[in-house]
Amino acid sequence: MIFLHPLVLLGLAAAAIPALLHLFERRRPPEAEFPPVRYLSEAERQSARRLKLRHLLLLLLRTTLIVLVVLAAARPLVRARARGAGGAHEPTALVVILDNSPSAGVVADGRPVLERLRAAARASLAGARPEDRVWLLLADGVVRQGTGPGLVAAVESVAVSSRRLDLRAAVEQAGRIVDAEPLPAREVHVLSDLQRTALGEGRAGVPRGVRVLALAPFGAPPPNWGIGAAQVVGGAVTVNAVGTPGAGPRAVTVRLRGRTVGRALAAPGSAVSVTLPALGQGWWVGDAALDPDELRADDHRPFAWHIGPPARVRAGADVGPFVAAALAVLREGARVAEGSEITVGGRPGAGSSVVFPPADRALLGEANRALAARGGSWRFGGPGTPGTISAPRLGGLNGVAVMRREQIERVSGGGERGASGDSAILAAVNGEPWLVRDSNLVLLGSRLDTAWTALPATTGFVPFVDALVNRLARGEGVVSSEEGPVHVEFRSRGADTVGATVYGPDPRESDLTPASPDLVEQTLGARMLDDTQFAAARFAGTRRADVSGTLLVLALLVAIAELGLATLGD
Amino acid sequence: MATTRLDLLDPAEVARLGGIEIVAQGVVEGFLAGLHRSPFRGFSVEFTEHRAYQPGDEPRYLDWKILARSDRLFVKQFEEETNLRAMILVDSSRSMAWRGAEDRLTKRAYADRLAAALALILLRQRDATGLVTFDAAVRQVVPARVKAGQWTRLVRGLLETPDGGGTAAEGALRHVTSLLARRGLVVLISDLLFDRDLALTALRYLRHRGHQVIVFHVMDRAEMELTGPPEVRFRDPESTASVVVRPRELARAYAVTVQREIAAWRSACRRHGVMYHHVQTDMPFGLALRLLA
Repeated sequence: MIFLHPLVLLGLAAAAIPALLHLFERRRPPEAEFPPVRYLSEAERQSARRLKLRHLLLLLLRTTLIVLVVLAAARPLVRARARGAGGAHEPTALVVILDNSPSAGVVADGRPVLERLRAAARASLAGARPEDRVWLLLADGVVRQGTGPGLVAAVESVAVSSRRLDLRAAVEQAGRIVDAEPLPAREVHVLSDLQRTALGEGRAGVPRGVRVLALAPFGAPPPNWGIGAAQVVGGAVTVNAVGTPGAGPRAVTVRLRGRTVGRALAAPGSAVSVTLPALGQGWWVGDAALDPDELRADDHRPFAWHIGPPARVRAGADVGPFVAAALAVLREGARVAEGSEITVGGRPGAGSSVVFPPADRALLGEANRALAARGGSWRFGGPGTPGTISAPRLGGLNGVAVMRREQIERVSGGGERGASGDSAILAAVNGEPWLVRDSNLVLLGSRLDTAWTALPATTGFVPFVDALVNRLARGEGVVSSEEGPVHVEFRSRGADTVGATVYGPDPRESDLTPASPDLVEQTLGARMLDDTQFAAARFAGTRRADVSGTLLVLALLVAIAELGLATLGD
Repeated sequence: MATTRLDLLDPAEVARLGGIEIVAQGVVEGFLAGLHRSPFRGFSVEFTEHRAYQPGDEPRYLDWKILARSDRLFVKQFEEETNLRAMILVDSSRSMAWRGAEDRLTKRAYADRLAAALALILLRQRDATGLVTFDAAVRQVVPARVKAGQWTRLVRGLLETPDGGGTAAEGALRHVTSLLARRGLVVLISDLLFDRDLALTALRYLRHRGHQVIVFHVMDRAEMELTGPPEVRFRDPESTASVVVRPRELARAYAVTVQREIAAWRSACRRHGVMYHHVQTDMPFGLALRLLA
């Protein structure tokens, strides 16, 4: 039990008044002569027990009456777990997770989902009391602390974000925040469309005592189609369609400088390729678009690519059969030409070079000396452990097995890892650099041979060699993808444009399929509640009902009993 | 006065008409006028002869033994005894000087007038009548006489007795035995606020000596039911005893106690052959006297 006005409890001291009056009363009643005092004494003696009991009861009732009135004035709050019970609650640490990720922009039943989520967030924040600690967590990952009314104003200005929200991570973060607060109650309200893809992997680690409530999705979401990615490879743009699994195909339109250059049908989960027209050298930006649907954020996505002259490549004698074959294919497709612009082999050439370790480890020292002579800041180290390739910016390499490799290490500050200056780690194995660009040098940790890596046996091998000689060795940046508002940003080095980043929503946002209650329970540790249940459960763990009215009724009953006893005695 | 029965009026109203003498005479006149026969026949007369029953004779004077033996109706004839001696004892203690309301007589005033009226009736029957007033001790003694001026002496004896202190009826009752050599009548008028056992011992002694004993238990109406302010300290006028009570919460128990006390007196007196009469100070004197008829 807690009290809204605890200072009033000081008035409980008044409960001692009847007893004190009884003990210390200096009665000076009027005096009167009355001859039959002996009859009075006899009557009093015979009624002593009854009178004593009656006085005791009256004392008890009057004391109880004062206690009840004082308690009622202090506004006591008791736990009220009953559904719909009104009243206040204990001081609570509350994090409201408002999922304003791109999928919240979908229009369902004529209203954006975000609008409904905002209404629920407002209700949660409006229910907060001044003694509560309240935070608001949005898809941008920023935790905003404030008062209930202040955060309600913040909620009003929340718009659909271009950032995806990982609900599992968000719930974990919110759990840590509220758990750090020394308040009696801790709650996390998850207000989201609860996309299945937003839940992430594993189970959120929510501290004990933290109640996580998840608002159930507002009905079944509409089917959705979106463009997950668009990438130009070999004169054609490959468009990956995403969206609701099982939804039928939709027309994809590819535009270039406002002109439609191709159309194709694509269903979610599939990819279509649209041939681009012959274009001149330079950077180009196109756009792949779908017909508008209820979620507009993923209906189009730009793509960028660079058209340059074929690299003039000179392959060393030690490149091996796979690289030689790949270069032959590229040469045949006019992607490369004979020349000395790019050297590929176990030793760097005079210009841009792609260097991989020699087959004989005894030649590593010679290779390193040649690299050092070129002023390179990386060198080959000792043998590395086998593993798989991790290359965020070179999607075709991810997961490819590496059976043998040489470590690539910095010449100075050998322990240092990562990119600096003109260097960049483009791929890694077991967390160690495997593909490094160092100015106009590109170092590979493994020879491109099936005895070293499975890469030559994959379909991405030729495109990889193409990228090696045409982009990486030449210093031309790749076209990368990032999450953000749909647009394209170019990177430049000096006066040259060396790369581009295409921004757009995370492709997982396009699948609006909601998670099942069981999955929500397993992943977030949250009960999925509909509007009514959520309103009832909000702060219900510590909801307190004001029982001052009940106490006043009891006080009235006690007063009636006291009056009755006093009158009955008369 | 001739047309108004003073004996049936409110005692306080009657008392306002004059002193004890006037009031007593008025009461007695009215009382005797309403009786048509000697009020005390039967206890102050002696049997003389039988005569045949005539219609109108009181059945209580039938001689039932003759009726049983001869199947004939005879009534007993009585002869007034001229030398009957009666003593009236009036409690003049301080408790008797109390009244519950301004419009009522004090118990003492009521007792004085009742005693004067009773004495007048007895003297008119030529019974020698005396008076003893007492509180903690005997205060006034007027020996029983039948000569002229006796009633005046009795009344003076009443008037000259001030309100006293405590009450000790036993001493007064025992003193009476020395004043009544032969069988006689003893009338005790008191509020009986004294030790019942001691008083009953003395009354029983009087009965043992052959005296007819009559007790008038005088009480004020306010003594029957407890009323007053929410809380009051009641003080015994005859002692330092006092008690703080809330009249409303003790009223019922008090009323029960008073009724039980009256019942106890009545029962004890009956057991010892004493006539007991409970009178309240607002009871007309005629009704009180009629209790003796």
